[in-house]
Amino acid sequence: MKAFFIAIGNLFKRPATIQYPFAPTYKPDDYRGLIVHNPELCIWCRRCEMACPPGAIVFSQAMDGSQTYHYNRAVCIYCGECVRNCPKPGAIVQTATPASPALRDENINNSWAETVKQALESRAAYMAEKKRQSAAKQQQGGENPS
Amino acid sequence: MKRIDLPLDRVVDEIGKFYQFDRHHFIVMNAVDLGDSIELQWFFSDYAAPGEVTMFAAKTDASHIIPSITRVVPSAWVAEAELVDLMGINIENAKKGFVLEEDFEGAPLRKKQ
Amino acid sequence: MATYYDIPVGAQHISLLEPLHFKLTTDNEKIVDVEANVGYVHRGIEKACTTKFKFRQVSFVVGRICGLCSVSHTTAYSQLAEKLLNLEIPLRAKYLRILVLELDRIHSHMLCLSHVAENSGFEALFMRTMKDREISMELLEAVCGNRVQYDYSIVGGVARDLRPEVAQMVLKRLKELRPKVDDLIDIFQNNWSLSLKNKGIGAISREDAMRLNAVGPLARAAGVPVDVRNDTEDLLPWKQVGFEMVLENGGDVHARNMVRLKELLVSMKIIENVIQGLPEGPVVAETKALPEGEAVVRLEAPRGELFHYAKGNKTQYLERLKVKAPTFSNIPAFVEMFKGNEYASAPAIIASYDPCLSCTAR
Repeated sequence: MKAFFIAIGNLFKRPATIQYPFAPTYKPDDYRGLIVHNPELCIWCRRCEMACPPGAIVFSQAMDGSQTYHYNRAVCIYCGECVRNCPKPGAIVQTATPASPALRDENINNSWAETVKQALESRAAYMAEKKRQSAAKQQQGGENPS
Repeated sequence: MKRIDLPLDRVVDEIGKFYQFDRHHFIVMNAVDLGDSIELQWFFSDYAAPGEVTMFAAKTDASHIIPSITRVVPSAWVAEAELVDLMGINIENAKKGFVLEEDFEGAPLRKKQ
Repeated sequence: MATYYDIPVGAQHISLLEPLHFKLTTDNEKIVDVEANVGYVHRGIEKACTTKFKFRQVSFVVGRICGLCSVSHTTAYSQLAEKLLNLEIPLRAKYLRILVLELDRIHSHMLCLSHVAENSGFEALFMRTMKDREISMELLEAVCGNRVQYDYSIVGGVARDLRPEVAQMVLKRLKELRPKVDDLIDIFQNNWSLSLKNKGIGAISREDAMRLNAVGPLARAAGVPVDVRNDTEDLLPWKQVGFEMVLENGGDVHARNMVRLKELLVSMKIIENVIQGLPEGPVVAETKALPEGEAVVRLEAPRGELFHYAKGNKTQYLERLKVKAPTFSNIPAFVEMFKGNEYASAPAIIASYDPCLSCTAR
């Protein structure tokens, strides 16, 4: 019998549907958003790359020694491990902007495997070149005093 | 955690003497690849003494047929079937195909030689 | 001479949330024998955690074993790594871990209750329980930053601190949730048509539950006093924050619903105690050591007892990691529970058992 009165009462209440996506839902103000890197403050220790669980950060190295930062927003899990492991506060920060969805033209997953391979090869080539130069200098230094 | 090391042929008898169904609780069976042998582990906990975990450990070779403890603990068939698939060991009365396909070749959790 | 038919409740089924396969042998609608097959979502996580991921990154990998009990896996692994490193974490981090574990328990129990209602045919109750569950999902997003798979526990403590305005929001929303849970207890207990589908169905006796080593709300509904929160006072201070065990007898679907509803009330009380008694201090402890030795951790996930074992060898990669899910322990009890019931109650029994297959076949 009580159900009958509840049913009549419900006719006059507004529907309980949440109007997402036509109305915004709750978003906290410390939302875990995109990672942003500041090249002026960075000391290029690569600790963020070693700490990242899915491998979304990689550094490539040019032949003059300078490094470039690459980041993939689709592989990232927004955990904040890179921010916690960075020894210089402010070099890498987590903002509150949500990441935009990846479009087909970006080819974000396949091109990332290629980027990682080229970055690691560039670092290996730079180390090999430095070793060769220091071995040549040592040989020259060994010959000169004689 | 209390650890009891035993030779493999005495494990079923010792567990039979130790396990009482209204006092002990069988957690799981585990296997670790030590390189040249495999160590099997059986974990039990106690309803009466909270927080105490007892572990029975035995070392074996991969080709031995390992006795099953299902005549003492009937619900252990699940843990044994999973280890047969993943570690490639032989336990009596356990069939392959519980977690992986039946015609899967190789044992994923063993170290590569 | 009876004829037996083999009917599958298959891997793809309208009423199942998880890929579970049972082959039921029936004798004219009564179930006689059951064969279970659970390995549909094996992903090789134990192998990946020892070869591809360093031991600090494993807590993020292990949290992605399951979507419902994600924080239980991360917290259990973090406690395990702290045991291997001999690290002591600050008290504020322990209280915050309890807070998120109990919020997770609320949302998981409400999901299971709504699924039981749906499988019993009462769709309006399913919609209403899900609407009330949205309150807890918003609280989880405010505290942890994500609605599912919040990477909250890390090795050494927790990842984010609790701000005072978020704590006030949690208390305010919990006050709204309590009368709703009281209404739900009233409906689940007294509604006549729901009781026809729930009382006496899928029963398991206390002795069978002990013999088959059942865990979780399944065992507590049959009268077996097993709850890991009673046993692990040294890792997390459960009794200090007001934990009480909930027991019923009967062992059928109705008793399991009641255990889950009463645990919701206990969880809400624990959360209020934690927020009001939160100590000051840091939230993470640092160390540069490497893991060595072997260790074992047990934790109470929403579905039962969760068990992690690890062995370290003083390198950045672990040597062996073993994860046992509560549903894995309950499979023998589950096979026993089907026998003697009608075939049409099979979906309701499976839903009340609350399986989580992603944890079982990792």
